[in-house]
Amino acid sequence: MIEGKLVNLRARETGDLDRMYRWINDGEVTRFLEMRYPISLAAEEAWIKSQVSTPASYADVRFAIETKDGVHIGGINFNEVSPEDRRARLGITIGETAYWSRGYGTDAMLTFVRFGFEEMNLHRIELTVHERNERARACYRKCGFAEEARMRQSRYVRGEYVDVMVMGILREEWEARQ
Amino acid sequence: MIEGKLVNLRAPEMGDLERNARWINDREVTQYLSMRYELSMAAEEAWMRDVTAKPLSYDRPFFAIETKDGEHIGNTNLFAVVPEDRKAKLGIMIGEKSCWSKGYGSDALRTLLRFAFDEMNLNRVELDVFAFNERAIAAYRKCGFVEEGRRRQALYRGGAYHDVLVMSVLRGELRP
Repeated sequence: MIEGKLVNLRARETGDLDRMYRWINDGEVTRFLEMRYPISLAAEEAWIKSQVSTPASYADVRFAIETKDGVHIGGINFNEVSPEDRRARLGITIGETAYWSRGYGTDAMLTFVRFGFEEMNLHRIELTVHERNERARACYRKCGFAEEARMRQSRYVRGEYVDVMVMGILREEWEARQ
Repeated sequence: MIEGKLVNLRAPEMGDLERNARWINDREVTQYLSMRYELSMAAEEAWMRDVTAKPLSYDRPFFAIETKDGEHIGNTNLFAVVPEDRKAKLGIMIGEKSCWSKGYGSDALRTLLRFAFDEMNLNRVELDVFAFNERAIAAYRKCGFVEEGRRRQALYRGGAYHDVLVMSVLRGELRP
């Protein structure tokens, strides 16, 4: 278990299925995610089975986010990890909407970014975020991420093309904040 | 065959194998590509068999670039095509170095972009280019690509970190 101030990060478990199934079919949650189509319980179960049967590794890091009371509220992961460039792409979901805007996401980010730099020895962590996802953008800025690019009309959501921001944080920037 | 002014784009063929293997192991060529490791002829052949076995399609728009004399000088493709967003990423390699800086790459780009917008009905074509690849960046700009930002130190090559530029061209922005 990786300990933050408000949350802990732990491996995903089979018991997370019902919650993850609920979140991934919640339009409010998926509005800003890549996910577009509803997912069956069977498909979600198959996915979780594959996740829990292989340990997380450098190329595939994913954790469940829990409050200090042990309430599972979301997930966080790295993908597209490039060992030569020491770079990874971060994804995060707070699926329990009751826990939005209360600092849990920010704490999960800070805890996970620390893990990326201090345990995985990364040089750069990056992410993409919809321009309309103001809450997430503010959170990422607070965590030290800089806006580096605006990909114009990169996603089509709810009847319109929206820009997607690229944000990144370098190791030296992280260290300067400690 | 898709006709440009200086080049044509055609489906890749097994006969391209030796040239592709030569280019992909030429460090002068691959310094600008994501390719880092040497590739065996067998691995290149397996990849070519896969590419040539199925017809090109929305998911697999991969082309060989030929001069009007029929000389194969490089390849270009779209990948990561997302139909809902109507976007794709673009990759291009002019492997024949004697053909660099002669307008072939720019013409291949324009020809592929016209195909992307006018036939595949895409809205956005994007690419990542290493910040030190100035010749490519100039060619992309000339075709209408806009620099959208800079992923700082996203690439490690030759003992140093380098920035990677994000560029895109939207439907209607293609320059003739």
